[in-house]
Amino acid sequence: MAKTDTTGPLGDAALDALLAEARDTPDHLPDALMARMLADAEAAQDARAQAVAPAPQRRGRLARAFAGIGGWPALAGFATATVAGIWIGISPPAVVSDGAAYYVSGGGAAEDLYLVDTMPAYDRIAAEVQEDA
Amino acid sequence: MAFDALSELDDDALLVLYANGDREAARLLTLRLGPRVLGHARRLLGDAAEAEDVAQEAMLRLWRIAPEWRPGEAKVTTWLYRVTANLCTDRLRKARGGHTGLDAAPEPEDDRPGPAEAMQQSARMDALQQALDALPERQRQAVVLRHIEGLGNPEIAGIMGIGTEAVESLTARGKRALAAALGGRREELGYGED
Repeated sequence: MAKTDTTGPLGDAALDALLAEARDTPDHLPDALMARMLADAEAAQDARAQAVAPAPQRRGRLARAFAGIGGWPALAGFATATVAGIWIGISPPAVVSDGAAYYVSGGGAAEDLYLVDTMPAYDRIAAEVQEDA
Repeated sequence: MAFDALSELDDDALLVLYANGDREAARLLTLRLGPRVLGHARRLLGDAAEAEDVAQEAMLRLWRIAPEWRPGEAKVTTWLYRVTANLCTDRLRKARGGHTGLDAAPEPEDDRPGPAEAMQQSARMDALQQALDALPERQRQAVVLRHIEGLGNPEIAGIMGIGTEAVESLTARGKRALAAALGGRREELGYGED
């Protein structure tokens, strides 16, 4: 080892030997630091496991009302009824338009609806009584 | 999986297992990588307590990145050396170069050599650490990675984000500066009487 180099820079061989000695000196991990590292590792695992687990479902008031009327299947029924209503409005079948005519027209035809004879037999009885008399 | 079977896996595979919640993988990665991270931080910072903080932070970042880790793209150790070096750089900048290298050299706890030899070895390592502390930051990092961690120039280039020629230049200048700094400390190194 650097026998003659007593002054000036350390010789290459001596420096290499010193660095090799440092390389061969095992790095010791203190128990307390190892425990802290492991605690961090497990905390990170636990945090990830919680993040991955599905959160319990919390439904709002509107969502519950929507579910109360039957959810999406019911909404499909509403949509069908709405489209049917629009269609009937645009192109009404004869039975609908005839019936509606009684309401929309202000003429005599409409009055017929209200001329209901509640005692149809009374006129005949009255006539017979008159004849007997 | 049994500990023995796990110990044969490389760092990449262990990291994937860790991300999937395997506790043993966490333990094995800590045993395997913790000492290297700590040693690297200690050599870059020259301060044992600061090095422990940096090592814990570097490992924490590894735990956090584990789910996004893509095996085969980069070596886990390369990534860790880079993170450790960046954390050390931050600390050194905050301290404005005022690290306390004198009392902070590692103390080997394995005392297989006799007490006198252990003291001599400790003195040598102290002297080396103080000489490393005196180097410019990048030279110190390059010398430590090349000559103490034993990495190849391409990997060092990847860690430091520079070309391999720049690595060669930094390590050469670093070694010259180390030789100059240690030249006057032959007695401490135990080389004076040879």
